[in-house]
Amino acid sequence: MAKTAHKNQLAPGISRLSHSKVFSKRATYKAKKESKPKADAAEAKKAFVRKPYVKEDLVDVLTAKKNELVQAAVTPRPKHSRKALRAPKLRKSITPGTVLIMLAGRFRGKRVVFLKQLKSGLLLVTGPFKLNGVPLRRVNQAYVIASSTKVDISGVKIDSKFNDAYFKHEKEAKLKGTEEEFFGKEAQKKEHPAHKLADQKLADKDIVAAVAKVPYLASYLSSTFSLTKGQAPHKLKY
Amino acid sequence: MVQRSFKRLVEVGRVVLITHGADAGKIATIVDIVDHNRAIIDGPTTGVSRQVIAYKNTVLTDIVVKRLPRTIGSKALAKFLEKEQVVEAWQKTAWAKKLDARKRRSNLSDFDRFKLMRLKKQQRNVVDRQVALLRKERA
Amino acid sequence: MPFVALFLKKLCLYSKGRFLGFKRGKRNQYEHTALVQLEDVNSKEETTFYAGKRIAYLYRAPTAKKGTNVRCIWGRITRSHGNSGVVRAKFRHNLPPSAMGSSVRVMLYPSNI
Repeated sequence: MAKTAHKNQLAPGISRLSHSKVFSKRATYKAKKESKPKADAAEAKKAFVRKPYVKEDLVDVLTAKKNELVQAAVTPRPKHSRKALRAPKLRKSITPGTVLIMLAGRFRGKRVVFLKQLKSGLLLVTGPFKLNGVPLRRVNQAYVIASSTKVDISGVKIDSKFNDAYFKHEKEAKLKGTEEEFFGKEAQKKEHPAHKLADQKLADKDIVAAVAKVPYLASYLSSTFSLTKGQAPHKLKY
Repeated sequence: MVQRSFKRLVEVGRVVLITHGADAGKIATIVDIVDHNRAIIDGPTTGVSRQVIAYKNTVLTDIVVKRLPRTIGSKALAKFLEKEQVVEAWQKTAWAKKLDARKRRSNLSDFDRFKLMRLKKQQRNVVDRQVALLRKERA
Repeated sequence: MPFVALFLKKLCLYSKGRFLGFKRGKRNQYEHTALVQLEDVNSKEETTFYAGKRIAYLYRAPTAKKGTNVRCIWGRITRSHGNSGVVRAKFRHNLPPSAMGSSVRVMLYPSNI
Protein backbone atom coordinates (compact mmCIF):
# COMPACT_ATOMS: atom_id res chain seq x y z
CA MET A 1 0.00 0.00 0.00
CA ALA A 2 2.11 2.78 -1.22
CA LYS A 3 1.10 6.18 -0.01
CA THR A 4 0.57 8.79 -2.64
CA ALA A 5 1.15 12.40 -1.84
CA HIS A 6 -1.71 13.71 -3.91
CA LYS A 7 -5.06 12.26 -4.56
CA ASN A 8 -4.74 13.43 -8.13
CA GLN A 9 -1.69 11.33 -8.63
CA LEU A 10 -1.60 7.61 -9.04
CA ALA A 11 2.02 7.53 -8.05
CA PRO A 12 4.42 10.40 -7.53
CA GLY A 13 4.74 12.03 -10.90
CA ILE A 14 1.96 10.11 -12.60
CA SER A 15 -1.23 12.05 -12.97
CA ARG A 16 -4.51 10.31 -12.42
CA LEU A 17 -6.14 12.12 -15.31
CA SER A 18 -4.93 12.27 -18.86
CA HIS A 19 -4.09 15.51 -20.61
CA SER A 20 -7.39 15.61 -22.44
CA LYS A 21 -9.35 14.73 -19.28
CA VAL A 22 -7.76 17.64 -17.47
CA PHE A 23 -8.64 19.91 -20.38
CA SER A 24 -12.28 18.91 -20.29
CA LYS A 25 -12.40 19.11 -16.51
CA ARG A 26 -10.91 22.57 -16.35
CA ALA A 27 -13.36 23.61 -19.04
CA THR A 28 -11.45 26.74 -19.86
CA TYR A 29 -13.05 26.75 -23.29
CA LYS A 30 -16.34 27.58 -21.65
CA ALA A 31 -15.04 30.84 -20.28
CA LYS A 32 -15.70 33.93 -22.35
CA LYS A 33 -12.70 35.13 -24.22
CA GLU A 34 -11.93 38.70 -23.55
CA SER A 35 -10.36 40.52 -26.35
CA LYS A 36 -7.46 42.50 -25.08
CA PRO A 37 -6.73 45.76 -26.77
CA LYS A 38 -3.46 45.29 -28.54
CA ALA A 39 -0.89 47.65 -27.31
CA ASP A 40 0.62 49.79 -29.88
CA ALA A 41 3.76 48.09 -31.07
CA ALA A 42 5.58 51.28 -31.45
CA GLU A 43 4.66 52.46 -27.99
CA ALA A 44 5.76 49.19 -26.48
CA LYS A 45 9.08 49.50 -28.14
CA LYS A 46 9.50 52.97 -26.80
CA ALA A 47 8.66 51.90 -23.27
CA PHE A 48 11.15 49.10 -23.23
CA VAL A 49 14.54 50.47 -22.66
CA ARG A 50 17.26 48.01 -21.94
CA LYS A 51 19.28 48.93 -18.96
CA PRO A 52 22.95 48.62 -19.30
CA TYR A 53 24.52 45.77 -17.36
CA VAL A 54 26.53 46.69 -14.36
CA LYS A 55 28.60 44.57 -12.07
CA GLU A 56 26.18 45.01 -9.18
CA ASP A 57 23.44 43.40 -11.20
CA LEU A 58 25.44 40.28 -11.63
CA VAL A 59 26.13 40.09 -7.92
CA ASP A 60 22.47 40.53 -7.24
CA VAL A 61 21.55 37.68 -9.50
CA LEU A 62 24.11 35.34 -8.04
CA THR A 63 23.35 36.03 -4.42
CA ALA A 64 19.64 36.46 -4.70
CA LYS A 65 17.30 33.81 -3.56
CA LYS A 66 15.66 31.73 -6.19
CA ASN A 67 12.83 33.37 -7.92
CA GLU A 68 9.64 32.68 -6.07
CA LEU A 69 7.90 31.52 -9.18
CA VAL A 70 10.64 29.07 -9.97
CA GLN A 71 10.59 27.78 -6.46
CA ALA A 72 6.85 27.30 -6.54
CA ALA A 73 7.18 25.21 -9.63
CA VAL A 74 9.78 22.98 -8.03
CA THR A 75 8.42 22.36 -4.58
CA PRO A 76 5.09 20.60 -4.52
CA ARG A 77 2.57 22.54 -2.54
CA PRO A 78 -0.46 20.78 -1.13
CA LYS A 79 -3.50 21.67 -3.12
CA HIS A 80 -5.95 23.84 -1.34
CA SER A 81 -9.03 21.79 -0.72
CA ARG A 82 -12.38 23.38 -1.36
CA LYS A 83 -14.17 20.82 0.74
CA ALA A 84 -15.54 22.03 4.03
CA LEU A 85 -14.25 20.15 7.05
CA ARG A 86 -17.12 18.40 8.67
CA ALA A 87 -17.05 16.22 11.74
CA PRO A 88 -17.60 12.56 10.95
CA LYS A 89 -21.05 11.24 11.65
CA LEU A 90 -21.55 9.60 14.99
CA ARG A 91 -22.45 5.94 14.74
CA LYS A 92 -26.05 5.23 15.62
CA SER A 93 -25.02 2.81 18.33
CA ILE A 94 -23.23 5.55 20.25
CA THR A 95 -25.42 7.82 22.34
CA PRO A 96 -24.62 9.76 25.52
CA GLY A 97 -24.06 7.25 28.30
CA THR A 98 -23.09 4.35 26.05
CA VAL A 99 -20.41 2.12 27.47
CA LEU A 100 -17.58 1.93 24.95
CA ILE A 101 -14.79 -0.59 24.73
CA MET A 102 -11.48 0.98 23.81
CA LEU A 103 -9.61 -1.00 21.18
CA ALA A 104 -6.25 0.67 20.83
CA GLY A 105 -3.84 2.91 22.63
CA ARG A 106 -2.85 3.19 26.24
CA PHE A 107 -6.29 2.36 27.57
CA ARG A 108 -7.09 -0.53 25.26
CA GLY A 109 -9.50 -3.04 26.69
CA LYS A 110 -10.99 -0.52 29.12
CA ARG A 111 -14.68 0.09 29.26
CA VAL A 112 -15.54 3.76 29.40
CA VAL A 113 -18.59 6.01 29.33
CA PHE A 114 -19.32 8.17 26.30
CA LEU A 115 -20.32 11.75 27.09
CA LYS A 116 -20.59 13.64 23.81
CA GLN A 117 -19.10 14.20 20.41
CA LEU A 118 -16.80 17.17 20.07
CA LYS A 119 -16.62 19.52 17.13
CA SER A 120 -13.62 17.73 15.70
CA GLY A 121 -15.68 14.53 15.58
CA LEU A 122 -13.74 12.91 18.39
CA LEU A 123 -15.66 11.36 21.24
CA LEU A 124 -15.43 12.76 24.75
CA VAL A 125 -15.24 9.85 27.17
CA THR A 126 -14.49 9.33 30.82
CA GLY A 127 -13.62 6.15 32.72
CA PRO A 128 -14.88 7.39 35.21
CA PHE A 129 -11.34 7.88 36.47
CA LYS A 130 -12.20 6.64 39.94
CA LEU A 131 -13.38 3.29 38.59
CA ASN A 132 -10.86 2.36 35.94
CA GLY A 133 -8.24 5.05 35.75
CA VAL A 134 -9.35 6.47 32.42
CA PRO A 135 -9.46 10.27 32.58
CA LEU A 136 -11.61 12.61 30.55
CA ARG A 137 -10.26 11.96 27.12
CA ARG A 138 -10.90 12.23 23.43
CA VAL A 139 -11.06 9.08 21.32
CA ASN A 140 -11.70 8.33 17.70
CA GLN A 141 -14.86 6.31 17.18
CA ALA A 142 -13.04 3.97 14.82
CA TYR A 143 -11.06 2.70 17.79
CA VAL A 144 -14.04 1.92 19.93
CA ILE A 145 -16.73 -0.75 20.18
CA ALA A 146 -20.12 0.53 21.26
CA SER A 147 -21.74 -1.86 23.69
CA SER A 148 -25.48 -2.07 24.13
CA THR A 149 -25.09 -1.10 27.78
CA LYS A 150 -25.98 2.47 28.63
CA VAL A 151 -25.39 4.48 31.76
CA ASP A 152 -28.25 6.83 32.48
CA ILE A 153 -26.48 10.18 32.34
CA SER A 154 -29.53 12.15 31.26
CA GLY A 155 -29.37 14.20 34.43
CA VAL A 156 -25.66 14.84 34.20
CA LYS A 157 -24.52 18.16 32.86
CA ILE A 158 -21.37 18.16 30.82
CA ASP A 159 -19.37 21.33 31.13
CA SER A 160 -19.04 23.12 27.81
CA LYS A 161 -15.43 23.89 28.57
CA PHE A 162 -14.52 20.34 27.62
CA ASN A 163 -13.87 21.13 23.99
CA ASP A 164 -11.06 20.26 21.64
CA ALA A 165 -8.94 23.15 22.83
CA TYR A 166 -9.14 21.89 26.42
CA PHE A 167 -7.41 18.66 25.48
CA LYS A 168 -4.77 20.12 23.23
CA HIS A 169 -1.22 19.48 24.29
CA GLU A 170 0.72 22.45 25.42
CA LYS A 171 3.75 22.96 23.29
CA GLU A 172 6.97 22.35 25.06
CA ALA A 173 9.77 24.83 24.81
CA LYS A 174 12.36 23.59 22.41
CA LEU A 175 15.32 22.16 24.23
CA LYS A 176 17.06 20.52 21.36
CA GLY A 177 20.24 22.20 20.29
CA THR A 178 20.24 24.65 23.13
CA GLU A 179 22.84 24.79 25.84
CA GLU A 180 20.50 23.36 28.40
CA GLU A 181 20.14 20.17 26.50
CA PHE A 182 23.82 19.93 25.94
CA PHE A 183 24.60 20.19 29.60
CA GLY A 184 22.20 17.40 30.42
CA LYS A 185 19.39 19.37 31.86
CA GLU A 186 16.72 16.85 31.24
CA ALA A 187 13.14 17.67 30.62
CA GLN A 188 11.26 17.46 33.86
CA LYS A 189 8.32 15.19 34.11
CA LYS A 190 5.28 17.33 33.75
CA GLU A 191 2.87 17.38 36.62
CA HIS A 192 -0.74 16.89 35.77
CA PRO A 193 -2.24 20.34 36.18
CA ALA A 194 -4.26 20.65 39.34
CA HIS A 195 -7.20 22.30 37.68
CA LYS A 196 -7.62 19.30 35.39
CA LEU A 197 -7.65 16.98 38.37
CA ALA A 198 -10.38 19.08 39.92
CA ASP A 199 -12.31 19.12 36.63
CA GLN A 200 -12.10 15.35 36.45
CA LYS A 201 -13.47 14.92 39.92
CA LEU A 202 -16.31 17.30 39.32
CA ALA A 203 -17.26 15.78 35.99
CA ASP A 204 -17.14 12.22 37.25
CA LYS A 205 -19.11 12.83 40.43
CA ASP A 206 -22.58 12.51 38.93
CA ILE A 207 -21.56 9.76 36.53
CA VAL A 208 -20.18 7.60 39.33
CA ALA A 209 -23.43 8.15 41.19
CA ALA A 210 -25.42 7.07 38.13
CA VAL A 211 -23.24 4.00 37.73
CA ALA A 212 -23.69 3.03 41.37
CA LYS A 213 -27.44 2.75 40.88
CA VAL A 214 -27.10 -0.29 38.61
CA PRO A 215 -25.83 -3.48 40.25
CA TYR A 216 -22.54 -4.83 38.90
CA LEU A 217 -22.10 -1.84 36.60
CA ALA A 218 -19.27 -0.29 38.59
CA SER A 219 -17.26 -3.48 38.64
CA TYR A 220 -18.08 -3.99 34.97
CA LEU A 221 -16.58 -0.63 34.12
CA SER A 222 -13.51 -1.32 36.19
CA SER A 223 -12.88 -4.61 34.45
CA THR A 224 -11.30 -4.95 31.03
CA PHE A 225 -12.58 -6.48 27.84
CA SER A 226 -10.65 -9.31 26.31
CA LEU A 227 -11.27 -11.97 23.73
CA THR A 228 -10.83 -15.54 24.87
CA LYS A 229 -10.40 -18.73 23.01
CA GLY A 230 -13.38 -19.63 20.87
CA GLN A 231 -14.83 -16.13 20.99
CA ALA A 232 -15.17 -14.88 17.46
CA PRO A 233 -15.63 -11.10 17.51
CA HIS A 234 -18.09 -11.16 14.63
CA LYS A 235 -20.41 -13.55 16.46
CA LEU A 236 -20.43 -11.69 19.77
CA LYS A 237 -23.07 -9.23 20.80
CA TYR A 238 -21.75 -6.18 22.55
CA MET B 1 -39.86 -58.16 15.24
CA VAL B 2 -36.80 -56.82 13.57
CA GLN B 3 -33.93 -55.93 15.78
CA ARG B 4 -34.29 -52.26 16.59
CA SER B 5 -30.82 -50.88 16.08
CA PHE B 6 -32.40 -47.70 14.75
CA LYS B 7 -34.60 -46.14 17.38
CA ARG B 8 -35.83 -43.27 15.26
CA LEU B 9 -37.42 -44.11 11.94
CA VAL B 10 -38.62 -42.00 9.08
CA GLU B 11 -42.38 -42.45 9.29
CA VAL B 12 -45.55 -40.44 8.99
CA GLY B 13 -46.00 -38.60 12.25
CA ARG B 14 -42.30 -38.43 13.10
CA VAL B 15 -41.32 -35.04 14.44
CA VAL B 16 -38.13 -33.66 12.90
CA LEU B 17 -35.84 -30.78 13.77
CA ILE B 18 -34.91 -28.65 10.78
CA THR B 19 -31.20 -27.91 10.74
CA HIS B 20 -30.68 -25.96 7.55
CA GLY B 21 -32.47 -23.25 5.62
CA ALA B 22 -34.81 -20.48 6.66
CA ASP B 23 -36.66 -22.66 9.18
CA ALA B 24 -33.51 -23.92 10.87
CA GLY B 25 -34.11 -24.62 14.54
CA LYS B 26 -37.85 -25.22 14.21
CA ILE B 27 -39.63 -28.56 14.52
CA ALA B 28 -42.11 -30.04 12.04
CA THR B 29 -43.90 -33.31 11.43
CA ILE B 30 -43.48 -35.73 8.56
CA VAL B 31 -46.77 -35.91 6.70
CA ASP B 32 -45.75 -38.03 3.77
CA ILE B 33 -42.63 -39.66 2.40
CA VAL B 34 -41.59 -38.71 -1.12
CA ASP B 35 -38.64 -41.04 -1.63
CA HIS B 36 -35.50 -42.19 0.13
CA ASN B 37 -34.18 -38.63 0.15
CA ARG B 38 -37.15 -36.41 0.79
CA ALA B 39 -40.36 -36.14 2.77
CA ILE B 40 -43.25 -33.71 3.02
CA ILE B 41 -43.22 -31.92 6.35
CA ASP B 42 -45.64 -29.51 7.92
CA GLY B 43 -45.52 -27.45 11.09
CA PRO B 44 -48.70 -25.42 11.51
CA THR B 45 -48.02 -24.85 15.21
CA THR B 46 -44.36 -23.92 14.80
CA GLY B 47 -44.49 -21.64 11.80
CA VAL B 48 -43.17 -24.11 9.27
CA SER B 49 -45.07 -24.09 6.00
CA ARG B 50 -45.87 -27.35 4.24
CA GLN B 51 -42.92 -28.31 2.09
CA VAL B 52 -40.81 -31.07 0.66
CA ILE B 53 -37.54 -31.29 2.53
CA ALA B 54 -34.46 -33.46 2.18
CA TYR B 55 -33.65 -35.68 5.15
CA LYS B 56 -30.13 -34.34 5.19
CA ASN B 57 -31.56 -30.98 6.21
CA THR B 58 -33.36 -32.48 9.17
CA VAL B 59 -32.73 -34.54 12.27
CA LEU B 60 -35.25 -37.07 13.53
CA THR B 61 -36.41 -36.63 17.11
CA ASP B 62 -37.80 -39.17 19.55
CA ILE B 63 -41.28 -37.71 19.31
CA VAL B 64 -43.88 -39.38 17.09
CA VAL B 65 -47.50 -38.36 16.60
CA LYS B 66 -49.28 -41.67 16.91
CA ARG B 67 -51.77 -42.91 14.31
CA LEU B 68 -51.36 -39.86 12.11
CA PRO B 69 -53.12 -40.41 8.77
CA ARG B 70 -50.96 -40.02 5.69
CA THR B 71 -51.08 -36.64 3.87
CA ILE B 72 -53.20 -35.04 6.53
CA GLY B 73 -54.12 -31.38 5.96
CA SER B 74 -52.55 -28.55 7.93
CA LYS B 75 -55.61 -27.71 10.01
CA ALA B 76 -56.29 -31.29 10.99
CA LEU B 77 -52.60 -31.77 11.75
CA ALA B 78 -52.64 -28.76 14.06
CA LYS B 79 -55.41 -30.40 16.06
CA PHE B 80 -53.38 -33.59 16.36
CA LEU B 81 -50.29 -31.70 17.44
CA GLU B 82 -52.18 -29.76 20.05
CA LYS B 83 -53.85 -32.85 21.42
CA GLU B 84 -50.55 -34.68 21.72
CA GLN B 85 -48.84 -31.54 23.00
CA VAL B 86 -45.93 -32.05 20.67
CA VAL B 87 -44.36 -28.64 21.15
CA GLU B 88 -44.46 -28.96 24.92
CA ALA B 89 -42.98 -32.45 24.70
CA TRP B 90 -40.19 -31.12 22.52
CA GLN B 91 -39.44 -28.23 24.82
CA LYS B 92 -39.13 -30.63 27.73
CA THR B 93 -36.32 -32.59 26.09
CA ALA B 94 -32.75 -31.93 27.13
CA TRP B 95 -31.94 -31.43 23.48
CA ALA B 96 -34.34 -28.52 23.08
CA LYS B 97 -33.16 -27.02 26.34
CA LYS B 98 -29.58 -27.19 25.18
CA LEU B 99 -30.42 -25.51 21.90
CA ASP B 100 -32.33 -22.83 23.73
CA ALA B 101 -29.49 -22.22 26.16
CA ARG B 102 -27.04 -21.95 23.30
CA LYS B 103 -29.22 -19.38 21.60
CA ARG B 104 -29.66 -17.34 24.74
CA ARG B 105 -25.96 -17.53 25.41
CA SER B 106 -25.10 -16.15 22.00
CA ASN B 107 -27.50 -13.26 22.47
CA LEU B 108 -25.89 -12.07 25.70
CA SER B 109 -24.44 -8.60 25.62
CA ASP B 110 -21.01 -7.76 26.94
CA PHE B 111 -22.46 -6.60 30.25
CA ASP B 112 -24.59 -9.75 30.48
CA ARG B 113 -21.54 -11.92 29.97
CA PHE B 114 -19.80 -10.03 32.75
CA LYS B 115 -22.73 -10.48 35.11
CA LEU B 116 -22.89 -14.17 34.25
CA MET B 117 -19.22 -14.52 35.07
CA ARG B 118 -19.75 -12.84 38.42
CA LEU B 119 -22.78 -14.98 39.30
CA LYS B 120 -20.98 -18.15 38.33
CA LYS B 121 -18.15 -17.13 40.61
CA GLN B 122 -20.57 -16.71 43.49
CA GLN B 123 -22.14 -20.06 42.77
CA ARG B 124 -18.74 -21.72 42.64
CA ASN B 125 -17.81 -20.15 45.93
CA VAL B 126 -20.81 -21.69 47.70
CA VAL B 127 -20.60 -25.08 46.05
CA ASP B 128 -16.85 -25.46 46.51
CA ARG B 129 -17.13 -24.63 50.16
CA GLN B 130 -19.82 -27.23 50.70
CA VAL B 131 -17.83 -29.84 48.79
CA ALA B 132 -14.79 -29.11 50.89
CA LEU B 133 -16.81 -29.47 54.06
CA LEU B 134 -18.23 -32.80 52.96
CA ARG B 135 -14.80 -34.01 52.03
CA LYS B 136 -13.52 -33.14 55.47
CA GLU B 137 -16.32 -35.05 57.11
CA ARG B 138 -15.55 -38.10 55.02
CA ALA B 139 -11.88 -38.07 55.81
CA MET C 1 2.70 -20.76 34.75
CA PRO C 2 4.21 -18.27 37.19
CA PHE C 3 2.20 -17.61 40.28
CA VAL C 4 1.40 -13.99 39.46
CA ALA C 5 0.39 -14.81 35.92
CA LEU C 6 -2.49 -16.87 37.26
CA PHE C 7 -4.17 -13.69 38.40
CA LEU C 8 -3.27 -11.50 35.47
CA LYS C 9 -5.90 -11.66 32.80
CA LYS C 10 -4.17 -11.69 29.49
CA LEU C 11 -5.43 -8.87 27.37
CA CYS C 12 -6.27 -9.97 23.88
CA LEU C 13 -7.97 -7.54 21.54
CA TYR C 14 -7.46 -9.27 18.27
CA SER C 15 -8.48 -12.46 16.59
CA LYS C 16 -6.18 -14.72 14.73
CA GLY C 17 -5.73 -15.38 11.06
CA ARG C 18 -3.46 -17.59 9.05
CA PHE C 19 -1.48 -16.37 6.08
CA LEU C 20 -2.13 -19.00 3.44
CA GLY C 21 -0.27 -17.63 0.46
CA PHE C 22 -0.71 -15.07 -2.23
CA LYS C 23 -3.49 -14.43 -4.63
CA ARG C 24 -2.70 -16.49 -7.68
CA GLY C 25 -3.81 -18.09 -10.88
CA LYS C 26 -2.66 -21.31 -12.35
CA ARG C 27 0.74 -20.03 -13.32
CA ASN C 28 1.15 -16.57 -11.85
CA GLN C 29 1.03 -15.35 -8.31
CA TYR C 30 0.40 -11.80 -7.21
CA GLU C 31 2.45 -11.04 -4.15
CA HIS C 32 0.75 -7.72 -3.56
CA THR C 33 -2.32 -9.50 -2.22
CA ALA C 34 -2.12 -11.98 0.61
CA LEU C 35 -4.78 -14.56 1.41
CA VAL C 36 -5.67 -14.95 5.07
CA GLN C 37 -7.86 -17.58 6.68
CA LEU C 38 -9.68 -16.08 9.65
CA GLU C 39 -10.18 -18.12 12.76
CA ASP C 40 -13.78 -19.17 13.50
CA VAL C 41 -14.92 -17.72 10.19
CA ASN C 42 -16.24 -20.31 7.79
CA SER C 43 -18.41 -18.50 5.30
CA LYS C 44 -18.31 -15.57 2.96
CA GLU C 45 -21.09 -13.78 4.84
CA GLU C 46 -19.14 -13.86 8.07
CA THR C 47 -16.15 -12.12 6.52
CA THR C 48 -18.06 -8.86 6.06
CA PHE C 49 -17.38 -7.98 9.69
CA TYR C 50 -13.66 -8.07 9.02
CA ALA C 51 -13.55 -5.97 5.85
CA GLY C 52 -11.21 -3.03 6.32
CA LYS C 53 -9.84 -4.25 9.63
CA ARG C 54 -6.18 -3.68 10.36
CA ILE C 55 -4.05 -6.77 10.25
CA ALA C 56 -0.53 -7.26 11.55
CA TYR C 57 2.12 -9.82 10.84
CA LEU C 58 4.55 -10.07 13.75
CA TYR C 59 7.93 -11.67 13.46
CA ARG C 60 11.18 -11.86 15.31
CA ALA C 61 14.30 -10.39 13.80
CA PRO C 62 17.88 -11.18 14.82
CA THR C 63 18.76 -7.59 15.65
CA ALA C 64 16.82 -5.44 18.03
CA LYS C 65 15.37 -2.15 16.92
CA LYS C 66 14.02 0.32 19.46
CA GLY C 67 14.80 -2.23 22.13
CA THR C 68 12.75 -5.07 20.71
CA ASN C 69 13.38 -7.95 18.39
CA VAL C 70 9.76 -8.09 17.36
CA ARG C 71 8.87 -6.37 14.13
CA CYS C 72 5.60 -5.91 12.41
CA ILE C 73 4.16 -5.53 8.94
CA TRP C 74 0.80 -3.77 8.89
CA GLY C 75 -1.96 -4.23 6.38
CA ARG C 76 -5.67 -4.11 5.85
CA ILE C 77 -8.28 -6.64 4.89
CA THR C 78 -9.65 -5.63 1.54
CA ARG C 79 -12.32 -8.16 0.63
CA SER C 80 -13.41 -11.76 0.87
CA HIS C 81 -11.88 -14.50 -1.20
CA GLY C 82 -13.92 -17.55 -2.07
CA ASN C 83 -16.74 -18.93 0.03
CA SER C 84 -15.11 -20.35 3.10
CA GLY C 85 -14.02 -17.41 5.21
CA VAL C 86 -10.78 -16.55 3.48
CA VAL C 87 -10.05 -12.87 2.92
CA ARG C 88 -7.66 -10.86 0.82
CA ALA C 89 -5.33 -8.46 2.54
CA LYS C 90 -2.89 -5.82 1.40
CA PHE C 91 0.17 -5.12 3.43
CA ARG C 92 2.40 -2.04 3.49
CA HIS C 93 5.16 -4.29 2.34
CA ASN C 94 4.39 -7.58 0.75
CA LEU C 95 4.61 -10.44 3.20
CA PRO C 96 7.66 -12.62 2.75
CA PRO C 97 6.96 -16.12 1.45
CA SER C 98 8.57 -17.48 4.59
CA ALA C 99 5.53 -16.15 6.46
CA MET C 100 3.21 -18.57 4.69
CA GLY C 101 1.36 -20.67 7.21
CA SER C 102 2.16 -18.37 10.10
CA SER C 103 -0.48 -16.52 12.04
CA VAL C 104 -1.37 -12.87 11.75
CA ARG C 105 -3.28 -10.64 14.13
CA VAL C 106 -6.59 -9.27 12.99
CA MET C 107 -7.31 -6.16 15.02
CA LEU C 108 -10.83 -5.07 15.95
CA TYR C 109 -10.38 -1.59 14.50
CA PRO C 110 -11.46 0.37 12.56
CA SER C 111 -14.65 -0.58 14.30
CA ASN C 112 -18.16 -0.01 13.01
CA ILE C 113 -20.13 -1.47 15.87
